[in-house]
Amino acid sequence: MGAVLEVSNLWKFFGKSPVLRGVSFSVGEGEAKVILGPSGAGKSTLLRCINLLIKPDRGSIILDGEEVTAPGVNAARVRSKIGFVFQHFNLFNHLTALENVMLGLIKVKGMNKDDAFKVARESLLSVGISEDLWNKYPAQLSGGQQQRVAIARAIAMSPRLVLFDEPTSALDPELIWEVLGVMEKLSREGMTMIVVTHELGFAMKVADEVVFMDSGAVVERGSPEEVILRPRNERVRRFMERMQYVYSLK
Amino acid sequence: MSFDKLLDLAYSYGGLLFNGLLVSFYLTALSYLIGFTLGVLISIARTYGVRFVKAVCQAFVELTRGTPMLVQLFLIYYVLPRVGLALDPLSAAIIAIGLNSAAYQSEYLRASISSISYSQWEAALSIGLTKLQAVREVILPQSIRVAIPALANELIYLFKYSSIAYFITVPELMYVSKFVGSRTFLYVEIYSIIAVIYVAFSIAATEAFKFIEKRTSIPGLRISTRL
Repeated sequence: MGAVLEVSNLWKFFGKSPVLRGVSFSVGEGEAKVILGPSGAGKSTLLRCINLLIKPDRGSIILDGEEVTAPGVNAARVRSKIGFVFQHFNLFNHLTALENVMLGLIKVKGMNKDDAFKVARESLLSVGISEDLWNKYPAQLSGGQQQRVAIARAIAMSPRLVLFDEPTSALDPELIWEVLGVMEKLSREGMTMIVVTHELGFAMKVADEVVFMDSGAVVERGSPEEVILRPRNERVRRFMERMQYVYSLK
Repeated sequence: MSFDKLLDLAYSYGGLLFNGLLVSFYLTALSYLIGFTLGVLISIARTYGVRFVKAVCQAFVELTRGTPMLVQLFLIYYVLPRVGLALDPLSAAIIAIGLNSAAYQSEYLRASISSISYSQWEAALSIGLTKLQAVREVILPQSIRVAIPALANELIYLFKYSSIAYFITVPELMYVSKFVGSRTFLYVEIYSIIAVIYVAFSIAATEAFKFIEKRTSIPGLRISTRL
């Protein structure tokens, strides 16, 4: 199992304060990695560094053997190989669901409209967006539908990996379920992914490895059972106790 | 004002006035297009450009907004020939009014670009679009929609202010009216007529832009002005 992504000793400063402090990990082919941690831990910044929306200050990121943090790398080309799913969906407001998915296929992959339509159709159907919704605009869709279109937009580009930045944090509970279902299916089909989330149930079920971040650094990593149920680190234990209070029915 | 006089006026000078109106339309349309095209470019440059480009564009906008349009018109018509660039009156007016409008339109568009959420920009880049593509495919289509009311205002403004071309002898509506007035001494009548024409244009333009706004509005998306 070769590494799709290798992040080594990544640092990022906002002004003088470090947001990422030497983060390292690697993601293998088909792996689902879940990143947990409190707000302000640097999780979103880490994802944005990986697809070069934010330029890291130190350290390296290697995607498929290519160092994408090296000077002179074409950021747009790198991003076209990495899907990104945002907390607030970020669909293009002026385009229909279908056009949202087709835009990258036409403008980035250079497909003609017919081919782009075929790929977009497959992609939308795979996330459970039926044909009656294809010509709706984002503002006419529910949050869950918007997020699934956003996932379709990301996977239509056949990325090497997909980054999820708290994809369900802005959704109602029932809609969370429909989005997590799509993500679980995607993982089962072999998609490599990094998921920043607070959904511990999803992490338990889907994650191959859980990474816990706090104050810009990885403080614990391991299987979901280890990190979520039997954390060694004191900070992680406190976090999990609180999460279990919020999420468990006992 | 008797009806006979009006008929007489229309019979003798209707064609001339109509030609004047056409020149005004032509002048307005071309300078508006120049203003829009440059306005789009300047607004993009001022939002996404490197520091030097931003500074040059800002200087242009401040200078243009800070001086009277008439001064700019005279500079282009009377001063440029001294450095070897002589323009006929109509071209000089089109360029002067077009550049002036570019400064204003760029500001309307710049404001509308900054009203588009940064997350749209991030999403555009995230699928692999280049920055230029992100601006063209995602930012501009949305920001121009936001700017439509301001752009309508600008067109009405330009049609009225195209009348300053009168000062450099462009035979537009104001110029021919003055001519007709001096021939017939029917100043009140003639200026009343062109006032009505200016108002009619402004109402027609308002309605046209309302129609455009409605046609291009994004279904389901509420914009704060329509709450």
